[in-house]
Amino acid sequence: MSEHAITRRSFLAGSAGVAAAIAGSEFLSFGSWQQAYAEEAAGPTTTAHSLCNACSTKCGFTAYVVDGKLDKIIGDASHPYCEGTLCARGYGYADIAYSADRLTDPLKKNESGQFQAISWEQAYAEIGEKVQSIIKESGPETLAIVQDPRPSGKYYSQRFMNALGSPNVYTHGVACNMSKNSGFAQVIGASDYTSDVENSKMTMFIGRSYADAIRPSALHALEKAHEAGAYIVLVDPRLNNSIAFADEWVPINPGTDLAFILGMAHVLVSKGLYDKDYVAANSVGFDEWASYLQNCTPEWAQEITGIDANTIERLATMFAEAAPAASIEPSWRGAFGCSYDNSGETARAVCAFNTLLGCWNQKGGALFLPSVSASKLDAGTFPSVPKPEGTIVGAKEYPLSQSGMGVSVFAANLATTGMVRGMFFYNSNMVAGYSNPEHLKECVEALDLSVAIDVQMSETCMACQYVLPDTSYLERLELPEFVSAKTPVVTLRDKVIEKVHPNTRPVDQIFSELAEACGVGEYFTFSVEELADAQLASVGLSLDALRQKGTAAFPEKTFEYGKTPEWKTPTGKIQFASDACEKAGLPRVPQWREPAVSVPDDGASFRLIGGKQAIHSHTQTANIEALMDITKQYGLDRVWMNANRAAELGIADGDTVLVSNDLFSGQAQVKVTERINPEALYLPSHYGCSSPQQKTAYNVGLRQMDFVPYRLEEGYGGACTQETFVTVKKVGA
Amino acid sequence: MTRYGMLINTKKCIGCYACRTACQRQNGLLPDEAFIRFEEREQGTYPAVSVEHLPLQCMHCEDAPCVSVCPTGASHIGPDGIVTVDHGKCIGCLYCVAACPYQVRVRNSQTGGVDKCRFCNVSNYENGTKMSTCVTACPTGVRIFGDLDDPDCELVKEINRTHAEPIAGDVTKSKVYYVR
Repeated sequence: MSEHAITRRSFLAGSAGVAAAIAGSEFLSFGSWQQAYAEEAAGPTTTAHSLCNACSTKCGFTAYVVDGKLDKIIGDASHPYCEGTLCARGYGYADIAYSADRLTDPLKKNESGQFQAISWEQAYAEIGEKVQSIIKESGPETLAIVQDPRPSGKYYSQRFMNALGSPNVYTHGVACNMSKNSGFAQVIGASDYTSDVENSKMTMFIGRSYADAIRPSALHALEKAHEAGAYIVLVDPRLNNSIAFADEWVPINPGTDLAFILGMAHVLVSKGLYDKDYVAANSVGFDEWASYLQNCTPEWAQEITGIDANTIERLATMFAEAAPAASIEPSWRGAFGCSYDNSGETARAVCAFNTLLGCWNQKGGALFLPSVSASKLDAGTFPSVPKPEGTIVGAKEYPLSQSGMGVSVFAANLATTGMVRGMFFYNSNMVAGYSNPEHLKECVEALDLSVAIDVQMSETCMACQYVLPDTSYLERLELPEFVSAKTPVVTLRDKVIEKVHPNTRPVDQIFSELAEACGVGEYFTFSVEELADAQLASVGLSLDALRQKGTAAFPEKTFEYGKTPEWKTPTGKIQFASDACEKAGLPRVPQWREPAVSVPDDGASFRLIGGKQAIHSHTQTANIEALMDITKQYGLDRVWMNANRAAELGIADGDTVLVSNDLFSGQAQVKVTERINPEALYLPSHYGCSSPQQKTAYNVGLRQMDFVPYRLEEGYGGACTQETFVTVKKVGA
Repeated sequence: MTRYGMLINTKKCIGCYACRTACQRQNGLLPDEAFIRFEEREQGTYPAVSVEHLPLQCMHCEDAPCVSVCPTGASHIGPDGIVTVDHGKCIGCLYCVAACPYQVRVRNSQTGGVDKCRFCNVSNYENGTKMSTCVTACPTGVRIFGDLDDPDCELVKEINRTHAEPIAGDVTKSKVYYVR
């Protein structure tokens, strides 16, 4: 190394002015930069494979660590969800490990409502004692856990709750994709599918934007489809950013997607443009649905959806021409994951419509992709937990809800009745994100025991009695994550950096120690390394091998087009008609159902809709400075209002307005735009943090959920997150 | 001679900010220090409306106003035509920030010095160094990096094919070309 050479690190330090004296004069030409970089490549950099935690997609990446500190991260080309590129959240959210607002010690709320640091031993002892007394007095079925699934978290939280004897293991599904997955299951016996967008001739997206709620591989597929000439349609009250790779925007009235699909189905059925052989061979109940569809003319649908009848007829006809290389994409949260009282029925209609196209498992159609999972492990080392008696709380009241997700907020709601007495939260901000925050806070505060495990002080943590500090996702090894894809894979979140805060503990350790304190430690006598290695051994791999690669494929399981799947419905067929829906008080076939709340036609009211922005996930990324700085620089916390409506109300772009309904009132700036349906007011779903300890996110923007009443969708249990309206008034006018 | 340049295809840009945060991580920038800024342009009236996302970063001008106004020579044009800031000489006077017609120079809030896009992708371009630059990180492949003096490189071919042009024409002899 020459005497003038500098390392990349000192170069960067120089660029920050810390070592300005070293970094003088001509050293900082590009040549020095390159030299510094080359030098670094041979230096003390280590790498590890991990999985992003900024959203549920969990993209694989290689983390570069210099002197123990996270440096750059690069998406792994072999990971089927990122295919080498991460999204903005992936780069930004990695800062969470070093956040100044991390939880660093176990906390207990004192009588005046303040949190005080306590030892792990005290936390475990008190929680364990309370758990055992609740079980003794009321039974284990009064305990529950809510978690947003992550590789280790989903395993340990379920095992912990089941070991205690409770079946009440919930995800965030009620406020995500519960209604969609549950509705799909009624028709096709599977809770999801994947549109083969890349190979399609036509794909329609309803309330889903690959460019705003990004899974990079899906975005890549959309771009390829567009370049190959596929006809891409976006049905959305907002012109979302996927329009870069789409051909048509259908600016539908919010909450009316079901009528739109029924109108298109009417066209296919009445004109005989559907795949009659496919329907005859694979389905039951078609005649019942066809009979109902007779009245669902495009003109009828136009009245409800605001979409011209000719457009509905044209798009239906285009679908018939493109079939079977065409589908309605399954969406996610979007329009019918959990938004309306008709979301589950909309989901049924989507699957019924795709069936008319005969597109299941066809190239360019809608696919059921394979996955691999670990086999049963040695019961001596990893003892089986007895299956808890009874069913998950909420299953009786919401019989169509997927038990794998569960109606978490219903369970929380029972806290006030004493039927649920103790709740744990892992990586879940239920209070701020799943339904009305004020109500959910009261529910959590009514519990006899409430414990949150997290990395930062969420609103849910604030409502709990105990808060346990987790390590960040970069500071621990987790269990292998099996991913379904055309060629399924298994992926690994390995430890990237050492603990930043010494008194934090990784999720596997916390649950194992909690179990011990609750008297069920015998089910947690193994380490996460041992379990990960055993799970991988069961599929012919090892932890060491996966650590090297990050992602390992199972090419022998690769998907093949054209195979008719096994329909896992009660009838073994695709069900246009469902007995279970009828039993739940819904029609046997998907029929038009109004949203529960209609928007008054008073000139001042708007339906409040939410939706993701590309730089945030739920409420968990808002406290990341690099991401929140984008929000602030570009005013991304503004509410979107249609330009004509704004003119009528005397509101100009950038004005401050008061957004109000009977639940909440707050100020925001307005983005006046032509990109939104006049009936809708769009409030991005990431803001309005009310936790002062999240210093970056606190008090920025409004929180959608503050305007949403506690309401659950009939039958399905979705949180009805868009069943609300607001009025908007210019401040100072 | 090597003359590095870039093409930005706004027709593929979805305004997702991945380039911005990747660049910050690659170059160790502060959360509020971004070398890429974005403009969003809406055209038409509801519902016949379109939107354009326009990422802007240092254009590495051959006739660079930031260089000519710099009182200390901190802003200079390096051997490969890359406009560079020598931080040892930067006194934080912000003349360059005012002079840049593209408004892509940023002040480091900790040091007071000025910085901007360094065309760091050269390492990736020349020897395949793995990086998370705006070019390699973009999920939709908006950018192409290359040597404007090499007629066989992808950059030059794509500029010719798409008739891409600098954002403000020939004003500063910018080396970043746009498809719009």
